Amino acid sequence: MEKVIEVKDLTKEYNKGIKAVDNLSLNVYKGEILGLLGPNGSGKSTTINCILSLLNYSKGSIKIFGKEMNPNSYDIKSQIGVVFQDVSVFDELTVYENLDYFCGLYIKDKKLRKQYIEDAIELVGLTEFKKYYPKQLSGGLLRRLNIACGIAHKPKLIFFDEPTVAVDPQSRNNILNGIKKLRDNGATIVYTTHYMEEVETLCDRIIILDKGNILARGTSDELKELAEIEEKITVEVNNLDVKYIEKISELKNVDVVTYSANTLLITYKKGKNNISDMVEFLKNNKIKYNKIFSERPTLNDVFLELTGKELRD
Amino acid sequence: MFLHNFKYTFKTLFRNRGLIFWTVAFPVIMATFFHMAFADIIESDKLKVIDMAIVSNEEFENNILYKKTFTSLSDEKNKDRLFNITYTSKDKAKKLLEDDKIEGYLELKNNKPYLTFQANGINQTIIKYVVDEVHDTEKIFLMNADLDNSLGTISADIENYLNNNKVELKNIANSNLNYMMIEYYTLIAMTCLYAGCLGMVAIDNSLPYLKGNGKRITVSPTKKISIILSSLLAGYIVQLISLGLLFFYTICILNVDYGNHIGHIILLSLVGSIAGISLGVLVGAYIKASDNVKSGILIAITMAGCFLAGIMGVGMKYVIDKNLPLLNKINPANMITDGFYSLYYYTDFHRYWIDIISLLIFTLITIILSCNKIGRAKYDSI
Ligand SMILES: Nc1ncnc2c1ncn2[C@@H]1O[C@H](COP(=O)(O)OP(=O)(O)OP(=O)(O)O)[C@@H](O)[C@H]1O
Ligand SMILES: [Mg+2]
Repeated sequence: MEKVIEVKDLTKEYNKGIKAVDNLSLNVYKGEILGLLGPNGSGKSTTINCILSLLNYSKGSIKIFGKEMNPNSYDIKSQIGVVFQDVSVFDELTVYENLDYFCGLYIKDKKLRKQYIEDAIELVGLTEFKKYYPKQLSGGLLRRLNIACGIAHKPKLIFFDEPTVAVDPQSRNNILNGIKKLRDNGATIVYTTHYMEEVETLCDRIIILDKGNILARGTSDELKELAEIEEKITVEVNNLDVKYIEKISELKNVDVVTYSANTLLITYKKGKNNISDMVEFLKNNKIKYNKIFSERPTLNDVFLELTGKELRD
Repeated sequence: MFLHNFKYTFKTLFRNRGLIFWTVAFPVIMATFFHMAFADIIESDKLKVIDMAIVSNEEFENNILYKKTFTSLSDEKNKDRLFNITYTSKDKAKKLLEDDKIEGYLELKNNKPYLTFQANGINQTIIKYVVDEVHDTEKIFLMNADLDNSLGTISADIENYLNNNKVELKNIANSNLNYMMIEYYTLIAMTCLYAGCLGMVAIDNSLPYLKGNGKRITVSPTKKISIILSSLLAGYIVQLISLGLLFFYTICILNVDYGNHIGHIILLSLVGSIAGISLGVLVGAYIKASDNVKSGILIAITMAGCFLAGIMGVGMKYVIDKNLPLLNKINPANMITDGFYSLYYYTDFHRYWIDIISLLIFTLITIILSCNKIGRAKYDSI
């Protein structure tokens, strides 16, 4: 597979001795959406800013499209789009003017630019707001403008740094679908977030970061194999007698049983038909329950497994 | 790229209400206030005759240049009369000053003029400028004099000079340039320096460690120098509009008469604006803080500069010139106001050109310092 980005042994220290990114190596392949998943301060933005030559770094090498990346690599830069974590637009320019300004840094031809801007506006769904100033947009619409400014010039490689922070679920779905569309149109995408649901639905490959180190990498399924548990069953049941908890833990395949806040949580390391066994047990013991459902482990469980702490903050 | 960025920078600057208020509207409002405050003075339209004393010691009596100059400037028949002079002893002069009967007194001692004032104001400044001028003229004569020349020849020379140049010093009292002009001059100086805000905003937008927009520009395939130059040009054009408006408003609406030197005044304000913009770039490049904090710092620097240069009363300028001359030599506000004063007080342009050159040197140094910082910033931390 063709490597679009090749990072080798990247180390970045802001203050002497404290490594924000520690000896990190990663590849991004053509046409994929790579997710960088990690909690706050794990080094996601730092990694991206180093790749973009916005930051200098203590050690390592960075190649993009097979060429060494440095601040003067204008030919590489012309193929890149970046959606920064903080909304960065001009307050004094309208939605359309902002897009025209930023797109104009890449596309000189006015007619082509106009077409590109219209495409971007449509992609993020801002058609009705072209003449609005950023101050007149809601937080979610502003995020969409921020995204449009980063991608209007139809770059081949796009970085998204937590583009959906503070966006409601519906807008978030729109944004995620838009990103998939960009990938389907041939772009390669690097996507950072600390929402595991997003990487699970969006990303072809995931890298889990913590404290500047890569903990694990692979597809969502591959990563889940790292979790020791195989299945999680949740039962909502009121006032369960303690004696049942012991009985449940003796059932087949059961690993750990916890009961708190009227919720019974049972994890399994392996096994089939766990949920029907459980339903039968509840029935046999005449235990009344509101809800019962089974889940596969999430990336949060993987993270918990690898670091002993929750991914969520 | 240059034009693209120029166009949009111009738009962003022009739509930035706070910025436009300080750089365009504020000077016009100030001019209006001056106009209202000076309405009475316009009525009388004459410079008052200044009361002063001269210690009539032997040295003064023997110094033809000083004696003649002050005699002619205090001649009651002279319609441009500037001084009302009491010739007296040093002790009596001191007493007069203490009793507020005079604005100040002059004493010649060891071939040097010594001025004593109690307060600082426009009158003291005028006295000082006249004395400075006479002192400079005297030095030139002494320098040109041949060593063999007897003192007599030198005094003949001086007498000759005075006969032919009488008009020059009298022009000081030229009645169409009146007291309130100085306030308008400092206002123009202030407007020039407020251009710094334009320079600062322009630079803010193109540096990666300052704002997200700067980061966007930095990751784009655009040469930073082209962005910076076109942004600064846009800032300068906005500044020209602001100056144009101020001149139009003061000349056409408030009927301010800038005298015969309008060309020099405009040139000085153009150069002063460049210095102002580069000061803003310097602050923008070196100080990492929020927009508001940075504008605050810049406005504080500008205000302090204007204060030291005499915007609140020219006396301050005199105090600094006397006690901390270096401070005013590096103060761009002072270079600008000093250039205006020199047009007001002198008929030759020597001092004016020195001020213009000082401003250009100031600009050059600020630009070198800023480039040094910006150049390093391009690949440094955000
Ligand atoms: N400018 C800076 N100066 C000093 N330390 C910094 C700077 N920027 C980031 N850091 C530190 O580097 C580490 C990584 O930060 P980074 O912003 O890359 O994290 P992140 O994964 O993007 O977090 P978030 O999800 O909050 O955006 C953190 O410990 C942070 O405190
Ligand atoms: Mg971040």
